[in-house]
Amino acid sequence: MNRQIETLYHDGPPSTEKIGEFIQNNRFPLIEPGHVTFVFRGQADEVNLRRWISGLSTAQPMQVLEGTDLWVLRMELPDKSRFEYKFEVVRDGNRDLVLDELNDVQASDPFGSNSVCQGHGYKRPAWTLPDPETRKGSLTGFQMYSEAFESQRDIQVYLPARFRKSRNYPLLVVHDGADYLHYADFQTVLDNLIHRLEIPAMVVAMTQSPDRLVEYTGDQRHARFIGDELLRELNAKLPLIDSNNARGLMGASLGAVASLHTARQYPNRFGQLLLQSGSFAFSDLGKHQKGPIFDPVVRFVNEYRKNPFALAEKIYMSCGVYESLIYENRSLVPLLQAQGMQVKYEEARDAHNWENWRDRLRNGLSWIFPGPLWMVYE
Amino acid sequence: MVMQILLGPQNPVPNLKQAVDRINSDGPVVVISAGWRDSEGEIDELRDITGRSLEDLKLYQRAEEVFSNEPALHELHRERQDKLRELQRLYRIRLAPTITAARKLMRTRAEPELLRLEQRAAITQLRALDAHHLRRIRGIHLNFNERRSALEVPSAQIQRDEVHSLVKNAGLILIPGGHVAVLLNRIRLFGLDQLLAQKPVIAWSAGAMAMSERIVLFHHAAPQGKRDAELLDAGLGIVRRRVLLPHAGSRLDWRNRRRMALFSRRFSPAACSTLDNGSMIQLDNGRVIASSGSSIVTRTGRKRVLAKT
Repeated sequence: MNRQIETLYHDGPPSTEKIGEFIQNNRFPLIEPGHVTFVFRGQADEVNLRRWISGLSTAQPMQVLEGTDLWVLRMELPDKSRFEYKFEVVRDGNRDLVLDELNDVQASDPFGSNSVCQGHGYKRPAWTLPDPETRKGSLTGFQMYSEAFESQRDIQVYLPARFRKSRNYPLLVVHDGADYLHYADFQTVLDNLIHRLEIPAMVVAMTQSPDRLVEYTGDQRHARFIGDELLRELNAKLPLIDSNNARGLMGASLGAVASLHTARQYPNRFGQLLLQSGSFAFSDLGKHQKGPIFDPVVRFVNEYRKNPFALAEKIYMSCGVYESLIYENRSLVPLLQAQGMQVKYEEARDAHNWENWRDRLRNGLSWIFPGPLWMVYE
Repeated sequence: MVMQILLGPQNPVPNLKQAVDRINSDGPVVVISAGWRDSEGEIDELRDITGRSLEDLKLYQRAEEVFSNEPALHELHRERQDKLRELQRLYRIRLAPTITAARKLMRTRAEPELLRLEQRAAITQLRALDAHHLRRIRGIHLNFNERRSALEVPSAQIQRDEVHSLVKNAGLILIPGGHVAVLLNRIRLFGLDQLLAQKPVIAWSAGAMAMSERIVLFHHAAPQGKRDAELLDAGLGIVRRRVLLPHAGSRLDWRNRRRMALFSRRFSPAACSTLDNGSMIQLDNGRVIASSGSSIVTRTGRKRVLAKT
C-alpha cells in the first residue's frame, strides 16, 4: 500500500475531515519510485482506471477504501514513465469517462482532454516551455490548389526569428502541422531550439489533411501533393536551400506513414525524415488484424519490406514503449539501416500521444538538422 | 595604453553601450561582423544601442569577392581549410581516449598519493596533445602564408589596403560574436591580426574568443549528447592567458564538479573566464584591469568571481 494511504489509515478508517486534509495535502496521482497510486473520490458502483497503454488491459478496477468514498489503485510504473488516462465511473448502470479532478496535469488531442500521469523522475523538458530570452518566429500561411486532390489546401508556414528574404533556409514539411502547433507546442519548440542553435533557422511548412484516414494511408495523390506540388509552391514563394539534404519531412502516427510513403514515391527528394510512432502495419503471413483502414498501409509497408531501398540520407524514428506500434517500429529500423541510411531510433516510456511526440522533438530535429552550436557563440 | 573590453552575449540585455562609453573614443567606429556570415553588415541594432555612426568592414563579403576574382588564392584557401578539418578529425581520435582516461582518474578512488600523480600525468598528456595540435595548426597556417605571399593577387591587395585604411583611421573597433572559425579566418585573411592589437576594441562572445591565444569549443549540454571541449585554433593572441567561455552558464555542466575541474586544469595556466550576458572584462594592452559579471573556473571546478586585478 502507498505510504500516504497507510498514514491515512493509521488510526483506523479516517473521518471526513481527515480525508479532506489528505486530499488537500497531496498531489495526485500519488507518485513514488516504481509505483503510482490513483485516487478517485465520489460515490459510485464501480470505478475503473482507463489508460492507453499497450500490453495492459484498457480498464483496471479500483478498490473502494473501507468506510470512505475513496477509490484507489496502486500499480507498478517504471520511473520516467508518462501516460494519459481517465476514470470510468459506473453509477446506476451508466458508464461515464471523467478526468481526474485531483490532478491538474492534462493533455489534449483532437479527441479532447486526458489526465496525465507523470511517473517518478519525469520532468517536462525546459525547451518545450516559453523562454523570455528566445527570439520568436512568426506564423503565416497561404492557400494553394492541389491538382492531385482537385481541391484547395491550407498551408501554415513558420518563419524563424530574424527571417531575411536574402538568405536561403532549410525546409521542413510537417504532416498534421496544426495539431503539432496546438498539442505539441511546436512553435515554442522551434523558437527555443533555433535560439539555442541546436537546429538551424529554418522554414517549416505545415499541412493538415481533411481526410487523413484516406490520404495518409499510402495515397498516391498525397505523395504527389507533398513531393511535387507543395514543394514547387514553396520554392516559388520562399527563399529555400536548393538541396535534398536541406529538405525534411515529418509526421506522427499515420502522418509518419504518409511521410515514409511520400519518401518512397520521391526517393531522396527529402534528405531528412522524422517519423514518430509510425503506424507501419505489415503482415508476414496471412491477413493483418488492424481493420480495413490499414489495408493500403499494409500493402505499402509489405511492398517496401519486400523491395527496400534508400529513401533519404538520415532518418529519426521514435516510438513509445507503451504503444502497440512498438513492434512495427522496432521491425522497421534494421531494414532502413541496412539500406545505408543513417537511422537514429529512440524509445520512451510513453504512449501514442502528442506530448510523447513533443518530448522527442529536440533529439529528432537536431539529428536531422544539426544546428551550428559547436561553432557559433552569439 | 590601448584599452580592450570583452563582453558576454548581448541578448537579452545588451551592455555594449556602457562599454562604448567607458572607452570614450571620438573617432570613427568600425564593425567586424564577419561571424554573422550571410547576415554580415546588418548592424542597425548596434547603431541603435551605441547611438553612434558605424561602418561594417564586410570582411565576409570582401572575401567572397576576392575568392571569385583570385581562383588561385581561393584554391589555396580551400586546401588549407580541408587540411584543418582533417587535422581536427585526427585530433578528436586522439582526444577521446586521452580525456576519457583523465576523467576516469578524476573520479576513481585510490590511495591519495598514488592517485594524485596519475591524475597529474593524465592532465599533462592532455595538455601535450592540445599543444601538439596547436603546433600542427600553426604549421598549416605558416605554409598557407608562405605560399600566399608568392601569389600575385591584385584584387586581394586592393581590398586589404582599403580595410587597413579603415581600421587605422578608426577610433574604436567592435567585434560581435557569431561563427568563431569564420570570423577568425576573415580577420587573418585581411591581415588584421597585428593592427587590432594596437586599437581600442570591444569584442563579445565569438569576437572575444577570437581575441584570445587559444580558441576552445565547448558544449556540455548538446542535444546529441555531451561532447568534450576541443581546441580549435590559435586566436589573435591579444588577450593573454585567458580561455574565454561565452554562454558558460548554459553551455557548461557546472553540477559536474569533476568535469569542470578537469576543464580548468587542462587549460591551466590560462584562466577559464566566463562571459555571460552582462559580463564585462576590461583590459589594458591585453592584461585584465577590471571586470564585472565574470567568473573563472577554479582547479576544483567551482566558479570564482573574477576579481579586479
